[in-house]
Amino acid sequence: MNFDFSFVAIQFLYGLTNAMFIFLIASGLSIIFGVLGVLNFAHGSLYMLGAYTTYQCVSFFVDSPGYFWWAVIVASVTVALLGGIIERLLLRRLYQHEQINQLLFTYALVLILSDVARFIWGVDQLSVSRPAVLKGAVEIFGQYFPKYNIFIIFLGPSIAFLFWFFMLRTRSGRMIRAAALDRETLGSLGVNVDRLFTVVFVIGSWLAALGGALVSPVVTIRPGMDVEIIINAFIVVVIGGLGSFWGTFLAALMVGTVYSMGILVFPRLSMIFIYVIMVLVLIIRPWGLLGRPLQR
Amino acid sequence: MKRLLVITTICMVMVAFSLPAMGAKDIVVGFPMYLSGGGAVFGKPSAEGAKMLVKEVNDSGGVLGRKIKLLVRDCKNSPDEATRVAKEMINKNNIDFLVGGLTSSQGLALSEVAKQEQILYIAPISKVAGMTEPPRLHKYVFRSAANSKTEGRSGAVLAAKNKKWKRWATIGPDYSYGHSVTAAFIPWLKKLRPDVEIVHQAWPKLGESDYMPFINVVMASKPDAVFGSLWGGHFINFAKQASPLGFFKKIGFVSAGEAGCLEAVKGAGDDMPAGIISNTYDTFYYPDTPWHKAWVKQCQAFTGEKYPSSWLGTGYDAMKFLTEAIKKAGTTDTDAVIKALEGLTINSSVGKLKMRAKDHQAARGQYWGTLTKVPEYPFLILKPVEYIDAEKLME
Repeated sequence: MNFDFSFVAIQFLYGLTNAMFIFLIASGLSIIFGVLGVLNFAHGSLYMLGAYTTYQCVSFFVDSPGYFWWAVIVASVTVALLGGIIERLLLRRLYQHEQINQLLFTYALVLILSDVARFIWGVDQLSVSRPAVLKGAVEIFGQYFPKYNIFIIFLGPSIAFLFWFFMLRTRSGRMIRAAALDRETLGSLGVNVDRLFTVVFVIGSWLAALGGALVSPVVTIRPGMDVEIIINAFIVVVIGGLGSFWGTFLAALMVGTVYSMGILVFPRLSMIFIYVIMVLVLIIRPWGLLGRPLQR
Repeated sequence: MKRLLVITTICMVMVAFSLPAMGAKDIVVGFPMYLSGGGAVFGKPSAEGAKMLVKEVNDSGGVLGRKIKLLVRDCKNSPDEATRVAKEMINKNNIDFLVGGLTSSQGLALSEVAKQEQILYIAPISKVAGMTEPPRLHKYVFRSAANSKTEGRSGAVLAAKNKKWKRWATIGPDYSYGHSVTAAFIPWLKKLRPDVEIVHQAWPKLGESDYMPFINVVMASKPDAVFGSLWGGHFINFAKQASPLGFFKKIGFVSAGEAGCLEAVKGAGDDMPAGIISNTYDTFYYPDTPWHKAWVKQCQAFTGEKYPSSWLGTGYDAMKFLTEAIKKAGTTDTDAVIKALEGLTINSSVGKLKMRAKDHQAARGQYWGTLTKVPEYPFLILKPVEYIDAEKLME
């Protein structure tokens, strides 16, 4: 099929937008696994709660200026704190258990949280308008592209960079990396590893909730969005390498753009490409593109 | 000894309690329906319609002197859940008949259950044509809904009327319904208008939340018009994302999947694009005939809503086919009721409606028209609107 260059470029930009959303969510999943060693199935649920809470906050703040941004901040922080409570009160008790028990526990959380969301917000589809400054579209190569998507495309790398800076250049970041490598030694050096774990879980939850908050003007908020995103996030984390930050970034870019370009070239097979990449990675580099082989 | 006495007493009490019930045993109908999630907005009124019919029948003394008992259960959006719920009702609640399911995949799944368990099943909403065509057709499955073939062909009848629309694209959800309605639309359109060409076909997955990449590709293929089969919230979501790009201003749109139904136009508000052609099962504003006015009045009284849902008729008609067939058969014996259903004509929500003996498919049409803003209502209505009869579109 013959397409104008402009449409291909726009298609690529849609792919980038999608990639940034997946990155936000998958990076939280990845860091929690990297440090806590817990594969958090309920990560998608926190993303969903982020979206629902944003909807709720938007309806509270709708009369004040800049309400969307306040809603995003309040919603993501609230859900992050909820993540902290879950870690403190429940997940903590399971660190001594086998991984399968932790997985079952987080899966139970998925079911509980989805019913809670259903109970509070019902089953209808909800939606949030784009913030006033980012309404409308800009012309790129003679085609229209939504302003909000451009914002997301710039926001993704900014968060990635900030995060990288935090991990590499700050004391807390260094401790988190140390905890990922050897938590016993870190503990014997007098660091409060328990608190560190809570902090990491809160950060991870915040990233998921932020993804949910920011995605709310682009998609419909509905039951089931939790499970849908967790699958994509898992694929990204597997391709990028569990616990590898830049791996997650790279894999999110791949998944997002391959999916949207696939729609252009082979409309029926776009999702299959992504699974093919995952299968190839699992066969050739089971530890992911930028991950490290397990040394246990 | 004492214990034996207690147990015996309990057993006797239980038997005593169950005796009066046995005298006039209820006719139990299982009704699995999509009641939570995106499709609930249609599933709920469909279940309400079924309840409305049950009330109507029971208030006038029931069928064969027995009351109808309707068991409505949520089967969410998955065919697996529909199967599980249906089997549970068959094994635990001893249902006599099965009616329900919303999505096409649920219809196919329930039809499979009906075949295995040899229970009569009527599909009130599921549209995929293959369900009532060989090789999937079997003696236990009936459909009171329109099917994807007549729906796609009705769409083609309207699409063919605009002579300026030559380059066509399609966009539909990538599952059985989307494919079968599109597969019915294209050949019928080409038959009516040999000069048209299909320039692109987009298949987002069912429940896709980001349609932007698909919209971009459809626009890139420069069609004059697009045939869509995204239904319910999926279409609203699509329209919301497409409108800012000037999609509906540049490109004509014919939408199957009831974008013209009250739930869709109300739910979408200003996001529903005016000027698109779409369909609905029922409209409270058309036709202006005595039987339809009486029907709308009954719906208003039962639901307490000023503008009753377009989906009440789906559950109502399916249950009416069932109860009328039981009456005609004079028994609840499955084989006899199947015989009675074949060729049965009822007074339905769309007037006289016949269940064809040949393929167990009701000859049901739908209302089609152009969505237009009018001063009387705070939402778009189909105007002009017509009932496109299915009889002429079926083999």
